[in-house]
Amino acid sequence: MDAEELPRAPHTVDDFLRAYEDGGPLRGFRCVRCGLVSATWGLACPRCGDTGRVEQELSPSGKVVSFTIQTVPGDEFLNDAPYAYVVVELDGGGRITGWMPAVRSVSDLEVGDRVRFHPSYKPGVQFVRDLPVDRPGSGG
Amino acid sequence: MRETWVVGAASNRFGKMKDSGREAATRVALAALRSSGLAPKDIGYTFVSNCFGIAEHQAHVGPLINGGLGIPDVPSCTIESACSSSSAGLHEAFVHVAGGFVDAALVIGSEKLSHLDTLAATSYFAIAADYPFETKNGATFPGLYATLATAYQATFPTRPEMLGAVAIKNHANAARNPHAHFQKEITMGTYLHSPIIASPLRLYDCCPFSDGAAAVVVAAKEFVKSPVSEPLVIRASARAGSITEMQDRPDLLGLPATRTAAAKAFRQAHLEPKDIDFLEVHDCFTIAEVLALEDLGFFPQGTAAPAALEGVTARDGRLPVNPSGGLKAKGHPVSATGASQVVEIFEQFNGRAPGREVPRTETALAHNVGATGGSCSVHIFSRR
Repeated sequence: MDAEELPRAPHTVDDFLRAYEDGGPLRGFRCVRCGLVSATWGLACPRCGDTGRVEQELSPSGKVVSFTIQTVPGDEFLNDAPYAYVVVELDGGGRITGWMPAVRSVSDLEVGDRVRFHPSYKPGVQFVRDLPVDRPGSGG
Repeated sequence: MRETWVVGAASNRFGKMKDSGREAATRVALAALRSSGLAPKDIGYTFVSNCFGIAEHQAHVGPLINGGLGIPDVPSCTIESACSSSSAGLHEAFVHVAGGFVDAALVIGSEKLSHLDTLAATSYFAIAADYPFETKNGATFPGLYATLATAYQATFPTRPEMLGAVAIKNHANAARNPHAHFQKEITMGTYLHSPIIASPLRLYDCCPFSDGAAAVVVAAKEFVKSPVSEPLVIRASARAGSITEMQDRPDLLGLPATRTAAAKAFRQAHLEPKDIDFLEVHDCFTIAEVLALEDLGFFPQGTAAPAALEGVTARDGRLPVNPSGGLKAKGHPVSATGASQVVEIFEQFNGRAPGREVPRTETALAHNVGATGGSCSVHIFSRR
């Protein structure tokens, strides 16, 4: 079988990265068999292996599942430290990782805090706090 | 399958090497052969790991090592599985020897990164994660394990002192290991006052960037007429993989590949965790030792964090863990780490670990993780 005859992912890795740079929408795939929504590239579901996947636009908002404050960064974030690296459970399904500038201390963020995708000046998925607009003075 | 033994093992001192990775690999290979009583010409295959050889402008290092050992006609290949590279090499050697393809094989791991600065070394380590979906989003290796630590702490009560006790124990063990990178003990005060690298992990939660090399000689029982060292019988050699990216895993409270590899290994060995006398586990960060002990089945989930604080995992405790000092304090020269765990078990079995002996050496387990658990090896050894 020629590789060209195999099922094709509608997106390349670069398509994901371009979506982040262009400000979204965040894209992912939903497995038609197990229902996992994944925001990483692949030709099959990383959980159950089924190749039946449909594209799905992902919510830009969600809650922090876990995080760290990166004090010592790698070279691509050298000028951004300290910042938060976050794993986010998006509303409507799917988890994605990203970073939050200006979150410099563990007292600035908690597991369960709400965040939303925000276009960045650099590649990668940037999140900011998802503050209710009708609650002036809610801090953050 | 043929009964297969580890018949020789050797390591250099981890830390900063003057030798190149290639030179160090060749030296430890010859030392391992001498400890086995076998000659280079007895080797049928050489499995070499040198993840970051590109940092020394060198790939395809196997033939160079074999040439340096005087066996240039012996086949070799490079095995890369991030931090679990040389345990993956051990698995390949086991498969070749147990399967009857060769009678003896060399497993070598070598790494040299000390000529790079911290930023460059951190960046090299980070490319073993998913580069576009983790590293480009700001993850470093301490950051990824710190994210696991945050999730663990949010689920199970974990005081900083519990992780600190892991670091203190492993430094105490390393202080008695002449191969270790750090040969000094630390106190809880030193730990608690060390700077945060990636919250909640402090400097002393993290393994160092180390240079180092280690080698293991694997041979069929029937090929070894009169072993010069007490061999390790390889009772199980299991590997497993799991989803690389944390966000697609079912939970963040352990490494699925460890659970799978452990289940396979105990099944192969017809043993249970209660049968194991001591462990060398993958403690690149203190939280990694905690997760490993739970994922391997030695502690129920959420209960391993106090083990070091209560002395359970000390050298003279109920279950000695990382008598070598572990990655945390012996050091973590990425590709050498898996082989060096076997070196420690070999030395313990042969009574050549003065000052850090564990009480019982009938069985031992080695656990070695690639990156954040995209791959994992579990080996179980026993006496003849």
